[in-house]
Amino acid sequence: MAMVPDGSTDVMLSARGVVKSYWKGRNEVPVLQGADLDLERGEMLAIMGASGSGKSTLLHILGLLDEPDSGEVHLAGERIDALADRRRDALRNRAFGFIFQFYHLLPELSALENVLVPQWIRHGPISYWSHRARLRREAQDLLERVGLGHRMTHRPAELSGGEMQRAAIARALAADPIVLLADEPTGNLDATSGQGVLDLLRDLNRERGLTMIVVTHDPNIAQQADRVVRLAEGRVEEWSPALA
Amino acid sequence: MYKYLLCWRYLRTRYIALASVISVMLGVATMIVVNSVMAGFAEKMRDRLHGILADVVVESYTLNGFYEWQEVMARIQAVTGDEIVAMAPTMECPGIIDFRVNGEVWNRPVQIIGIQPKERAKTGDFAEFLIDQRGHQIPPSFDVPDELRPTTTASELLKDFPVDRQNPDDLLIEQELQQEMKDQSPDSGAILGYALATIHQKGMEDIFIAPPGTQVKLLFPRFGQTKAEASLLAATTIGYFKSGMSEYDSTHVYMPLEALQQARWLYDYKRGVGAVNTIQIKVKPGVDLAALSSRIQAALDRMKPRFYQVQTWEQKQGPLLGAVAVEQSILNILLFFIIAVAGFGILAIFSMIVVEKTRDIGILKSLGASTAGIRGIFLGYGLLLGAVGSGVGMAGGLLFVHYINEIEQVLSQITGRKVFDDSIYYFNRIPTIIEPMTVIWIVAGALLIAVLASIWPAQRASRLHPVKALRFD
Ligand SMILES: Nc1ncnc2c1ncn2[C@@H]1O[C@H](COP(=O)(O)OP(=O)(O)OP(=O)(O)O)[C@@H](O)[C@H]1O
Ligand SMILES: [Mg+2]
Repeated sequence: MAMVPDGSTDVMLSARGVVKSYWKGRNEVPVLQGADLDLERGEMLAIMGASGSGKSTLLHILGLLDEPDSGEVHLAGERIDALADRRRDALRNRAFGFIFQFYHLLPELSALENVLVPQWIRHGPISYWSHRARLRREAQDLLERVGLGHRMTHRPAELSGGEMQRAAIARALAADPIVLLADEPTGNLDATSGQGVLDLLRDLNRERGLTMIVVTHDPNIAQQADRVVRLAEGRVEEWSPALA
Repeated sequence: MYKYLLCWRYLRTRYIALASVISVMLGVATMIVVNSVMAGFAEKMRDRLHGILADVVVESYTLNGFYEWQEVMARIQAVTGDEIVAMAPTMECPGIIDFRVNGEVWNRPVQIIGIQPKERAKTGDFAEFLIDQRGHQIPPSFDVPDELRPTTTASELLKDFPVDRQNPDDLLIEQELQQEMKDQSPDSGAILGYALATIHQKGMEDIFIAPPGTQVKLLFPRFGQTKAEASLLAATTIGYFKSGMSEYDSTHVYMPLEALQQARWLYDYKRGVGAVNTIQIKVKPGVDLAALSSRIQAALDRMKPRFYQVQTWEQKQGPLLGAVAVEQSILNILLFFIIAVAGFGILAIFSMIVVEKTRDIGILKSLGASTAGIRGIFLGYGLLLGAVGSGVGMAGGLLFVHYINEIEQVLSQITGRKVFDDSIYYFNRIPTIIEPMTVIWIVAGALLIAVLASIWPAQRASRLHPVKALRFD
């Protein structure tokens, strides 16, 4: 697949001098002021930081949902922050898997269909139809893997928060992404189901060597990552939970 | 792929959007019903116009007409060959009819038409429109049946006269009385337009003011050396002409051709031929009437320039047919506005749905959906809604047209008065014609409007910034 970099270096995803500010009327609100970040292949990185420090903004820029004012983003050595729309769409679809705090499942679709959406987007009608059976089976396997085998036909409204987040994880995995970007995946869950979700992510990271970034407020969660960084004053700094 | 699946899913779950297509549906149904009924009426009208007028009509510009009609007909025959089925010479002129109703003299303007009934019947549906008082069809003839002859001194005498068949004197007297009776009562029968002879009041049976046997006097211009003079002719009402076109039924009076020619002093007794001012021509089916009539016109112009006017029945009725066409197109424009209004409904509801779906749009974009893809979802959704609306509307409209007479009956029973008063239109069923092209145009128009109405919301949806969309709630 020529569109997706194969990642021959060990740094999977990196940000260099990323600057981003928002405009509130005439006032510039600086959020990121030269953030640098390197994410190694197979690494599980936790990002912490005060509320409003720009964690989500950084994650969006890394995952091509937003553009930096200046600075660069590289995926497996290839610069990806200034690509044409088509390439950005393709990378979002195949290279990145997003997980959000509020699950963001499509309410009209069942859990299984939600997991299929990335494949629907990737394939044209004919190609989808000809691979329908395989794609469905893969989606079912993913749901089984996240422990939702018995909830495939349920709508999001009929699932609990933890189940919704598991479905969202299955969806993020559906396109077999290079990097998983999770923005406070446990932020809306009670401690038990939050830990369940984190265990799942941790297992996936171990099993599949999946590279992932987890944004979190919770030091307990951050502790379980391979490495923790902190966002403060628009920059990324190494941080060890032991120091807290 | 997701475009189709999602807009299909939205269609099945967003009932509010279906509300917006109800107006599309009603608009499409109404347009189909109105067009079918109007086409039906127009066709009926054309039928009738065509029944009264032959395919092609040759007229002289002057009312006095021409004597050499046999040459003219021969000429026409020569230039058209076997494309012509029949021809009938007639004499038409405006006049006044008067007759007595309850001892008072009533009069009205009329168009007096002298015809050879058998010939005229061959050139159109004329004979089918001739009826008696009870509405039964009568043969095309002007013979006055004896029972309709008015009583005169001679007829009274004849009734009481004891005829001895053995006595030649008696037979002679009887013969003379019969002759006198004929002289005293007008010899010619007249067929009056139905609306001329009756009074129509809504909801009541038509009242005959000129029942069969009524003596009518016709006043009309006759030939004069220096100027036109008035001439008078009496006739006995023997039947009625009911074509369903009130314009004709309220003015036409049919007379024997020769009687009219003689009364108008347009009869050459020496040669035994009278003048006519119109020749009705029936043409074989499938022949291009307009081309044929211009060929005849050219030939007759060579005979006598600026004297004859040749027109097809459609050209002759141009203004009336044109008026119907204008009426239909104006109605169509107005009705199309209904669908346009429905389009704005779709626009409003779609804009609402886009707002409601903002977060889902952000999600789809985060999963790799392209701008064009998001636009496609909403355009496809609009098309789908339009298709549902116009599909259901089309089915409803066609069903309505199919059962229109049953519906009319039910409505009449519920409201207690006739919705479709057949005595006004003279036909007992509402005529309808479904033209497939019209239906296709209406449905295509509705689809187009639905898509046009969804362009703007779709465009807005596709331009949403993914992060802003995701943060939206
Ligand atoms: N569209 C916007 N316009 C103006 N300011 C914005 C916009 N989006 C984000 N911001 C500001 O940017 C800053 C960083 O936002 P961001 O969501 O990245 O923070 P965060 O670290 O994810 O916070 P939290 O932990 O609460 O999720 C905040 O101060 C926020 O107010
Ligand atoms: Mg955040």
